[in-house]
Amino acid sequence: MTRVVEVPAHFDDKSFDQFAGWFGAWPPEERVLVDARGCQWASPYGLVGLLTAGQALAEAGKERPLLTVPAADDVRRYWARTGFFIHAAELFELHGKIPRAATGPSDVLLDVTPIRASGDIHDIVGKIQEGAARILTGELGIEAKATMGFAMALSEACQNIVEHAGTSGWVAVQAYTFRRRLGRRVVVIAVSDGGVGFRRSLESTQAKRFGDRWGDATALEAALIQNVSRFRDPGRGQGLAGIKRYLSRWQGKISIRSGTARLAIVPPWDEDVPLVDHLPFFPGAQVQVVIPAQHAES
Amino acid sequence: MVQISLRRVLQEAVAAPYRHLVTRATGAAVRGRIEAVLADADWTITLLDFSGVDCLDLSCADEIVAKLLLAAATRDRVVILAGVREDQRDALEHVLVHHRLAVAASFAGTDAADVIGWTSSDAREAFASLRADGPADAARIAARLDWPHERAEAALEDLGRHRIARATGGVFHPVTLL
Repeated sequence: MTRVVEVPAHFDDKSFDQFAGWFGAWPPEERVLVDARGCQWASPYGLVGLLTAGQALAEAGKERPLLTVPAADDVRRYWARTGFFIHAAELFELHGKIPRAATGPSDVLLDVTPIRASGDIHDIVGKIQEGAARILTGELGIEAKATMGFAMALSEACQNIVEHAGTSGWVAVQAYTFRRRLGRRVVVIAVSDGGVGFRRSLESTQAKRFGDRWGDATALEAALIQNVSRFRDPGRGQGLAGIKRYLSRWQGKISIRSGTARLAIVPPWDEDVPLVDHLPFFPGAQVQVVIPAQHAES
Repeated sequence: MVQISLRRVLQEAVAAPYRHLVTRATGAAVRGRIEAVLADADWTITLLDFSGVDCLDLSCADEIVAKLLLAAATRDRVVILAGVREDQRDALEHVLVHHRLAVAASFAGTDAADVIGWTSSDAREAFASLRADGPADAARIAARLDWPHERAEAALEDLGRHRIARATGGVFHPVTLL
């Protein structure tokens, strides 16, 4: 038996729930076939989420899943350009034509990159600096000194994996135009892991405090709103607080999906719901940070 | 005074030519090396030099600066910062305010110095006055800044509490920065 998991045509943080729903009870009993043939566009969030699915299935001891690549040439080329297929080949049995990755300038600020240890974050911050400065100041109208805040936000988002996930994960950063919701250029950081998730990470220190309310949603609330950490060190819990502070200056957005809930700090330009619970389960945590251009495109 | 180049300690701690102070693990490794140096030194003031450091994230700022300041407070010792870039100041402000700590710092490429962290704007002004016009008691600060005496006294007490200025016979001397 094979369970078919469809990749939505427009694969982003919104349609991710639909993608997660195809897996059913986690981990699925059957071998999984991820069908991306109909995918027309995928955000960095979609791509790192897809790799997380493959990794989580492997870590659950499941048979290597199949992945049919997008039918559209330009979509395949973009996925190749982000480095997605290099990592996907290690996690999935790939079916379909895989183009050679193009080189040269693009809106991909950081290829799909694994995060396994602290050293990976040093490399990521080093790689992103020049491109981030060009995009943030040149295209988004954010002052030059804010570039370091961006690198800080990226570093702190990635550290959640190293510090809390109990496994490795993925990050990707890209600039693109957010036509549907904003009509402006944005830079998007997407970080995903298939680890223990916020609820299990915080359970030993926070569950009692929330009593019957304890779950994925309250765990996200504790971490993102109350800056709570599982560590007793009073210096902990500042990472997400620092990201929020940075984003509040630039009308940015952060959303975190973990288990069956998603919590977002929603800026005025977005109509997202701050908290959604009872979503289809997906392992680990998926973080998206969006920083918009300060002025509309001419 | 013990002067410590964070760039050099970073590269020794991670055995790689990194120039970013990022991640909690890196911060803990850097702090460990600094503590080892300080354990062998007869010191009152430690200067942490940020020259050559590029990105500074909150985790590293917390592991290095906040934790060294917390340790220094228990032994009545002083930590000061030098070569701080404006874009690193945000991370430092964030973690120091979180711990209700403050530190005197000089900034890269300028002669400017300021107090970073959990302190009042009055204390910052008083610190600037002590640096610009020399050591002073509360009466003299009140006269210089046209403040009521109590306001000057509170500002100087704030600086003293954070070991940013040291009182000798009622006269406050600012810490010496590079």
